[in-house]
Amino acid sequence: MIRAASSFLAAWLAAAPLASQVRYEDILAAPGEDWLTFMGDYSANRHSPLREIDKSNVANLVAKWVYHVPQATALSSYPIVHDGVMYVTNSNEMHALEAATGRPIWVYLHPGVEMQRTNRGAAILGERIYFVTSDCQLVALNRITGAAIFARRYANPDDGYFCSVAPVAIKDRLIVGVSGGDSGIRGFLAAHSAESGEQLWKLWTIPGEGEFGADTWGPKTLPWGGAGTWMPGSYDPDLNWIFWPTGNPWPDLYGGDRPGDNLYSDSVIAVDLETGEMQWYFQFTPHDVWDWDAQEPPLLLELEIGGQMRRVVVQANRNGFYYVLDRLTGEFIRGNAFVDKLTWASGLDPHGRPKKIPGMEPSPDGKVVCPTMWGAANWMADSYNPDTGLHYVMTMEACDIYTSSAREPIPKIGFAGTGAERQSRLDGQFVIRAFDPATGRRVWEYPLTGPTASWAGTLSTAGGILFSGDDDKHLIALDAVTGKHLWHFNVGQTVNASPITWARNGKQYVTIVAQTDVFTFGLFSPARSSVAPEGLHER
Amino acid sequence: MKVLSALFLIAAASAEVPPGPGMQAKGGAPGRFIGDPMAIEAGKESYGLVCSGCHGVTGEGGRGPNLVTAPGVQKASDQELFGVIKDGIPGSDMPPSPLDEERIWQLAAFVRSLSAPAISQNVPGDRDAGRMLFYGDAGCTNCHMIRGEGGYLGPDLSNLGLTLSLGRIREGLLDPNNRFAKGFDPVVVTLTDGTRIEGVAKNYSNYALQILDRAGRLHFLASDDAAAIEFLVDSWMPADYPHTLSGDEIQNMLAFLSRLSLSSDATPREGAPQ
Repeated sequence: MIRAASSFLAAWLAAAPLASQVRYEDILAAPGEDWLTFMGDYSANRHSPLREIDKSNVANLVAKWVYHVPQATALSSYPIVHDGVMYVTNSNEMHALEAATGRPIWVYLHPGVEMQRTNRGAAILGERIYFVTSDCQLVALNRITGAAIFARRYANPDDGYFCSVAPVAIKDRLIVGVSGGDSGIRGFLAAHSAESGEQLWKLWTIPGEGEFGADTWGPKTLPWGGAGTWMPGSYDPDLNWIFWPTGNPWPDLYGGDRPGDNLYSDSVIAVDLETGEMQWYFQFTPHDVWDWDAQEPPLLLELEIGGQMRRVVVQANRNGFYYVLDRLTGEFIRGNAFVDKLTWASGLDPHGRPKKIPGMEPSPDGKVVCPTMWGAANWMADSYNPDTGLHYVMTMEACDIYTSSAREPIPKIGFAGTGAERQSRLDGQFVIRAFDPATGRRVWEYPLTGPTASWAGTLSTAGGILFSGDDDKHLIALDAVTGKHLWHFNVGQTVNASPITWARNGKQYVTIVAQTDVFTFGLFSPARSSVAPEGLHER
Repeated sequence: MKVLSALFLIAAASAEVPPGPGMQAKGGAPGRFIGDPMAIEAGKESYGLVCSGCHGVTGEGGRGPNLVTAPGVQKASDQELFGVIKDGIPGSDMPPSPLDEERIWQLAAFVRSLSAPAISQNVPGDRDAGRMLFYGDAGCTNCHMIRGEGGYLGPDLSNLGLTLSLGRIREGLLDPNNRFAKGFDPVVVTLTDGTRIEGVAKNYSNYALQILDRAGRLHFLASDDAAAIEFLVDSWMPADYPHTLSGDEIQNMLAFLSRLSLSSDATPREGAPQ
């Protein structure tokens, strides 16, 4: 009954798509002009080789465009940029923008998801762009059109999970994690096929009954111990291992029902990419009762320590201590307190285990402890500049009144064993600090004003600039060597994400996602006068 | 009832409604009517007589609210929908209905069909035959993708059954030039160097154009890169399917398209007529 399709349609069949493929090798070599993964690079260094913007001209940065994300309330997305297109996520949605103008190309809204939680970003591989929905579906889209390819559920919200992680694309797979640890879940990490979405392996971050580490819990808490995996980890291509941080044990503030160390909460775990087998773990805060998860970036660095070059994992942890670990074995090499306000431990022992000060646990009447529940550091991005040898960390100096309750722990109802609050609204301050990771020495610091309500982190560039969101609704630029202020811009919104940088047609740009909008900056150049083409208004 | 407050207006309450198809008594059970093509058709006829004056011929609003997109309509239970049509909304311009209960259920079935995802409608037809037609002679994958396979110039259809009503799908298939999906305006752009680009405008302004061509290339143009842009009256999609496809083929195609979904959770409404 049907005639052949129109001739021009038939001709189209012969036209092959020319979209450039993003290969694993491209991500391995990133960042360059593109920003291809959440951290910019697999080592979580967040250092860009771009240098058009430098100390001599950064004062000439101007806003190039603003994109408003409709319905957004607290965007936390780190964009991906490739081939002139920027990908920004919100809960259950992806926005593809022309990177140079901020004009939307397509918007994908995943249908049928009622749960709306924050989303931290996307992953790109091949011709596809990936993200997770709040109800834990890994979604693959055609990056040119936003066409849906698959949606694979990898965790069940009925079991307490929600999802916010930016997937990490490595070789043929995507690594994803789960949220919900503050209300009781059994945390896990999983790898899925980038092609089909099939699960390739799954690694629990809470042991099963009878397994190693199960005796570090109690019977009420082992099945629901938390240890979420919602922050993207780093990856060593030589070892073929990923290094992934884990969340706090549950109930967060009361440890009476989980008397041991509570493995593998508050840890970084080294995991074989191919098999999903855990190679080693290092737990920063055994038997945590302050909600100090380890979701801070695990940077992979090579440092000269004791006259030897060591391949290490570095983390400024939420508990206030700075750690350097051997990347191959997880052995503790060195550590030190990196904030001044730290009252729960007197230091670290030779194995890196904290020397806890008795009586600092939360209590029903409240106990003042430093750092805050927010942490001395948190999931805000760090960065490392190989030229300066400095590690840049958004730190917080503050204390909280921690309270606890021995109430029967019931999972999935939001019970966290109670919580923490600030003594006074004036008590607390973010401070951007530059550390020498080999020694832990504080080289410079830049205190911020604001309500201590930001999740902004740092970005390093070869132009010698440290970009960061601040706690007072600004994007700022500092001298990477000295910490001296060079430039700032008031975006008028709380900044809950960290900046990225990229280039197009030889021009460098800096982008930051704030509460409801995406802001992009570049060096000033006079606007080209514009002539609309003939026919533009004839529709 | 609260859910639907102020959503409906029924004007011309005294209009005479002739008998229509599917008018046999069915005992008032909503499952007998909702999703039933006969009931929907009968409801459509009643709608044209007593509702369209306020809610618009297509249900997309006028003096009264848009029944296609209103969240209150979409979230309301079948019984709530029936109740609002039957009793009206006191204190608003929405009067009680003069129709008998069976016709009200038919009307509810029609209103539900305006916005209900097609996947919930259990559209009759041979789905497999529709699939073969889609991937075969009809040439749909020249422009449309399903699960990442297909062309670039038409909207993605992977979640079509979840995101569009049956009415919209039918319109898209049989009358593609009636409206273009956002980001799919057909255009021909002539650059200042004479290069011609055929495709769809993903976006455009006085200052910049974002054009996707037939080969899947994105063209990012400053407005003065283009000498001329022509927005085409007709979609790139063939408009002759009403003539080239038989009635059965159209129904088979609708049966296939209406069930498209990435989600394994999405199943047709249980108990609905087949």
